[in-house]
Amino acid sequence: MAEADARPPQAGEPISEQEALRRLRQSEDSSQQYYGAWWLGRMRSQHPEAVPLLQQALRQRRPRDSGAGVEENAVARNAARALGKLAPAAQAAIPDLLDTLQDADDKLREAAARALGELAASEAIEALCQRLASGPTVAGAQQANSTRLVEPCEALLKALGDIGVNEPRVLAVVKPFLAHERPVIRSAAARTLLQLSGEACWGELLVDLLDHPQLPVRRAALMDLGTAGWRPGFKAIAATRAENSLKLMALRGLVEQGNGDPGDEALLACMDLLL
Amino acid sequence: MSQVSPVAARIAALQQAGSALALLQATQELASCADASAAPVLVEVLGFNNPGAAVAAVNGLISLGTAAVEALLQLDPDNYGARAWAVRALAGIGDVRGLELLLDALGSDVAASVRRAAAKGLGQLQLGALAEAEQHQVRQRCLAALLAATADGEWVVRYAVAVGLESLAEGLSPDATELQQARNGLVTLSEATEDTPPVVQRRAKLALSRLEPQ
Repeated sequence: MAEADARPPQAGEPISEQEALRRLRQSEDSSQQYYGAWWLGRMRSQHPEAVPLLQQALRQRRPRDSGAGVEENAVARNAARALGKLAPAAQAAIPDLLDTLQDADDKLREAAARALGELAASEAIEALCQRLASGPTVAGAQQANSTRLVEPCEALLKALGDIGVNEPRVLAVVKPFLAHERPVIRSAAARTLLQLSGEACWGELLVDLLDHPQLPVRRAALMDLGTAGWRPGFKAIAATRAENSLKLMALRGLVEQGNGDPGDEALLACMDLLL
Repeated sequence: MSQVSPVAARIAALQQAGSALALLQATQELASCADASAAPVLVEVLGFNNPGAAVAAVNGLISLGTAAVEALLQLDPDNYGARAWAVRALAGIGDVRGLELLLDALGSDVAASVRRAAAKGLGQLQLGALAEAEQHQVRQRCLAALLAATADGEWVVRYAVAVGLESLAEGLSPDATELQQARNGLVTLSEATEDTPPVVQRRAKLALSRLEPQ
């Protein structure tokens, strides 16, 4: 079933799994590889060739194919994203993703970190912590000629939360980012601490961000509360000045990821009112 | 000295609003008047591409109830943004004159947010004033549209279909054939499949448990 949500860069006719594998396997046209990798992740392909081909594509760095309309490392980035979506079948690719976490391209590190989180790869904890260890003023500093940070902090922090191993060394690395100048990074750090410890203070911090004057921050805090499934936040979520679509996604997270009070019936009643 | 009515003054204030924030405030003030003469102006606000003001206008139109329906139905059908907000208002009002627009929205609107509002609205149309035969006919059409939408590609629409089916079924007599059809739709939504997230299943199960004969 083809849904039109994430838009492929090379939109065209719907393709088959065999065609997606063929496009990824060839190496003449990197825009075709880009689309093939995206397709396999989007359709959650179970084909035995999918993961090995994506691992191979992940190693394909900097093709410098000027004129094909594909940015450098774009194929590798899409391969990393697809491997994350194929979790848990993509366990075999964890060592490749760990290598990728050391790449010079921060966008590629970002894609690798997200995939490692989706794979719940506890092997990645050490490397993720190392990337963040220099804290918000070094790893979290803005790059000289870009608005991006030195490290893809949001993805690195969230991966630690998704992996979900509550250890003092992880908490020690994450906590300083609660003081990052960007509220979206503070939100990511609070979400991770909430996932790891379940302590209400981190949920309350996210609820405070739901009242931030900037809409993108309120949206980020909504998604972070939903991912962490923090049920006590349900009324604050419903009252946030943001689109009902996002509030419904966040409340779905509370129903599916959370437990305890309030129970399902109160959460579902809250969702009904937002339709 | 001529006395300007408060509604007229607020309409004038809205028409002179020079910024997005001023428009939002003027809309909120007008929406709070609870005066039917505000309806055409609130409907106009739906087409201004200002989401905050549109939310305020929708809430104002819903609180006006049936008095707002005529103005909503006269909306320019080519203004997509306004139409999407009008579907939400009509879904909230529950007036049967909105039936065609809601059916069309659930079946063919591109935005999941519009389809989900229509699905909820089709479950809560007020049919009490209609003759029995006509009530039956309207319910059949709502039911058919909701059952078709149990296969919608977006989870949130299927969630809203569960809500719509529950409220539609609540109004039926225990021996109505539609009741069993509504239950069957809910059973479909409550089943675990790859595409049905737990939240939809749980909402459908809740609806089924509430529809159990006491």
